[in-house]
Amino acid sequence: MTPERFTHLADAYGADLQRWPASERAGAQALLAEGNAELLEALNQARWLDGLLDSHRVAAPTPELIRRIVASAPAAAPPSFWGRHPGWLSRIGFVGAGLAGIAAGMLVVSLGLPLPSSSEALPSIFEQSDADIVMSINAEESDQ
Amino acid sequence: MNETDPDVELLARIGNNEAQAVNEMVSRKLPRLLALASRLLGDADEAKDVAQESFLRIWKQAANWRSGQARFDTWLHRVALNLCYDRLRSRKEQPLPDNDELPEPVDPAPLPEEQLEASARNELMAAALAALPDRQREAIVLTYYQDLSNIEAAALMNITVDALESLLSRARRNLRNHLVDAHDPARLRRGKR
Repeated sequence: MTPERFTHLADAYGADLQRWPASERAGAQALLAEGNAELLEALNQARWLDGLLDSHRVAAPTPELIRRIVASAPAAAPPSFWGRHPGWLSRIGFVGAGLAGIAAGMLVVSLGLPLPSSSEALPSIFEQSDADIVMSINAEESDQ
Repeated sequence: MNETDPDVELLARIGNNEAQAVNEMVSRKLPRLLALASRLLGDADEAKDVAQESFLRIWKQAANWRSGQARFDTWLHRVALNLCYDRLRSRKEQPLPDNDELPEPVDPAPLPEEQLEASARNELMAAALAALPDRQREAIVLTYYQDLSNIEAAALMNITVDALESLLSRARRNLRNHLVDAHDPARLRRGKR
């Protein structure tokens, strides 16, 4: 790198070599190591302006601006009921199928059980006295 | 190129309507975007408008973003720059307001000396940036404040790297002259060549 190129790059990119084109940094470092006073002065001039550029601050985003921008995104819109419960129908179908299976099972089991011949097998709506009458009628009919 | 683009995955999540991805994108991009527009336009309200409009473009583009295109951050800078250009152009087409229409300057609350100095330096720098020709200001903002490489900045400005370096040199010379003339000459004279 020539001293002229070094000065040109300091004028363009400032004093921080990290801002310079990557391909030129090693050459710049080598030139600086020679201790050229003019080049050091060029860097000092650039550093002075860098300091002033660094002093320029801009306002950070306000919470209100952030809120507005987030709200403008389609993904930020609150989902509808159907959007929030996309599988509601299948879940209801699953539960319904389960209940139907349980009912069918109970029916099969109840049909498979032998009916007792005692009064205990009668529906509970009958009083015990009613049951005795029914049983005695049955006994008379069988005697005949 | 897109294998190293850190924004691609986030874009895909936004495309899938993930609310958390929206928050992440805003916190990742908004400060830089707002800073870019603020420095190019020198107007906080207009900068906010540009930021909002830029994000609308992001939401629209997210689901359709294709690997193999430019880096997302470069594309976003292009969008914001174009929005800023539109506003800068429309300013030039509008006549300057009469002095009667200018807002009354607000009397600032008293500040500690250190803050006053920082505030004065900030205003001085803002004025120096605003006084630059548009293209010179753009070159400084993209390379110095936005930390874009010279190749990225030149591509965004549709110029060669040599032309970018020339713009940067002229911009820095103009800034130096403006700052030395406007500020305390005794203090700043050291910086003038």
